Amino acid sequence: MIQRIWRLGRRGCELLEALGRSGQFLLQSAVGVPSREGWYLWLRQMHFVGVLSLAIVLVSGLFIGMVMALQGYTILVDFGAEQALGQMVALSLLRELAPVVAALLFAGRAGSALTAEIGLMKATEQLTSMEMIGVDPLRRVVAPRLWAGFVALPLLTIGFSVVGIYGGYLVGVEWLGVFEGSYWGNMQASVDFVGDVGNGMVKSLVFALVVTWIAVFQGYDLIPTSEGISRATTRTVVYSSLAVLGLDFVLTALMFGEFS
Amino acid sequence: MSDSPFVVVEGLSFSRGDKDIFSGIDLRVPRGKITAIMGPSGTGKTTLLKLIGGQLVPDAGRIWIDGHEVHALSRKALFVLRRRMGMLFQSGALFSDLSVYENVAFPLRVHTNLPGAMIRDVVLMKLQAVGLRGARDLMPAELSGGMARRVALARAIALDPELILYDEPFVGQDPISMGVLVQLIKRLNEALGLTAVVVSHDIKETLSIADYVYVIADGQVMAHGTPTTLDVDDDPRVSQFVHGEPDGPVPFHYPASDFFTDILDSGGRQ
Amino acid sequence: MKRSKTMELGVGLFMLAGILGLLFLGLRVSGLAFSPPGDTFRLEANFANIGSLKPRARVTMSGVTVGRVSSIELDTDWYDARVILEIDRALEDRLSRDTTAAILTAGLLGEQYVGLTVGGDPETLGDGDTIRDTQSAVVLEELIQQFVSNMISD
Repeated sequence: MIQRIWRLGRRGCELLEALGRSGQFLLQSAVGVPSREGWYLWLRQMHFVGVLSLAIVLVSGLFIGMVMALQGYTILVDFGAEQALGQMVALSLLRELAPVVAALLFAGRAGSALTAEIGLMKATEQLTSMEMIGVDPLRRVVAPRLWAGFVALPLLTIGFSVVGIYGGYLVGVEWLGVFEGSYWGNMQASVDFVGDVGNGMVKSLVFALVVTWIAVFQGYDLIPTSEGISRATTRTVVYSSLAVLGLDFVLTALMFGEFS
Repeated sequence: MSDSPFVVVEGLSFSRGDKDIFSGIDLRVPRGKITAIMGPSGTGKTTLLKLIGGQLVPDAGRIWIDGHEVHALSRKALFVLRRRMGMLFQSGALFSDLSVYENVAFPLRVHTNLPGAMIRDVVLMKLQAVGLRGARDLMPAELSGGMARRVALARAIALDPELILYDEPFVGQDPISMGVLVQLIKRLNEALGLTAVVVSHDIKETLSIADYVYVIADGQVMAHGTPTTLDVDDDPRVSQFVHGEPDGPVPFHYPASDFFTDILDSGGRQ
Repeated sequence: MKRSKTMELGVGLFMLAGILGLLFLGLRVSGLAFSPPGDTFRLEANFANIGSLKPRARVTMSGVTVGRVSSIELDTDWYDARVILEIDRALEDRLSRDTTAAILTAGLLGEQYVGLTVGGDPETLGDGDTIRDTQSAVVLEELIQQFVSNMISD
């Protein structure tokens, strides 16, 4: 019994220690004066995490928008309310689906790659040798990746929403014959720029920070063996997915809940 | 001042988890000489280099490099000190996303404001010194192990350091590249007056270039002296290591209970 | 250096696409019109019952959106609801003093909004004036109650 309590305590301490370490890590890598060199490094990472994730995010967005229009239509048509299709597609995309699904895809596509890349650099002593050359790897390797993720995910989320709404339009208007004017009109009447688009963006920024943070920290903190890298990559996807879904609930409650 | 040791290690202790790696080590690395640190694998020789480089913090003891106490320095001052040191890693540790040329140029670009043409001159000079000027456009993945280590050496000397730390420079090399590396280390030391610390367990090669040798085992300095004195040392442990005998005071077997009883025991259980 | 040029271009296009997407979300999806604040004037209207009217609901005239509900509060003098409307500046001193405001519903289950209908008074409404003639929201339960009591009295 005592043993169990002792083990629980040790677990708790380890957890707190890891949290502290990762917080310190975030602070150390996020601050720093961006130089021209840093700008270029950031650009490279934007390409790596942003542009290369674009295809998967846009294709998923298109399909999700199309599926939602199809599902929504079959429900709404029973109430004779199929004009509200645009409103339904746009609101669910902007408020929930775009930030969350884009963040999950981002964690799988870019987050795991970030972890593996930094982990590999650690395993091959590249980070250590950088330190020995007198360059702080937090600034040089981690910071550009962190900032690139922070900027890229909100942009990807916007793309997801736009393509999803267009996908809904294709299915709803072009295929199922909802009147085009009511698709856009109802959408415009119900979507509030600050309340819906803005809050979706805030969600996306929070997710971007959390997912990239988890990804780079897992890469930086892993045990430098091939097994360690594969484990850390899995952990990145699992932790960031859980964090995104959990935080989504908290943020939704704060933004759209009764006590907002 | 110039004949005072460049690196001084005093009473160094370090442990990882419950395992003591060093318990009270004293070392002196003379200026402009090649000092070898040898010992069986698993004695923490690489750890020692990381301690000297300030990447790990010892449990006890102090390390001075050219009069600066390494672990009393601020992070910033430590990074400044590191510019005067070069380190050659066991794996080479080349930056895999940069070409050979950019790898060697990296320390110059981050630490100096030299114009591009001058950086080019320096990089080509260093690559010429290791005989790889023709390989400047290759990526690290396209190099053989020996070539990667030579590029890493060129990068380590890019800023003309005063101290260079070699971590197992000969391990896993074919005889030709081993010979090349031995020569390079010797030549760099003679031509540039570099102070060098070589960590290795390749006895023959290391003894051929070292001016002074420390043998480390069980977290202690077991013996030290010039290669010639070590060769005739009568401590059985030293002679076992220096002459590479398979069994002796350093046992062939990992500590275990008696073989015979062990076998009977497990048989009885099943 | 050629490879980095295409990369820079890619990132530039990516960011441009993001900004354009945000613009699309603003203009096409949430129907934002770039009207600087101060382009509206305030009207007040008291309703006996506002139903489920919400701040930011539309204010229309003959179906054309001319403004928004800016806030709703309880008037403690009369114990009814005071609705503050922000109306397009172009309509200031154009609406007759006997303009009526009604709370209407879009479709059977849709959102509620305020509909304005002009009257014939030569005097007009200015900033901060109150619309006297209002028509409350239709509450379904009241409607049914009326219907049932009519049936009984018949």
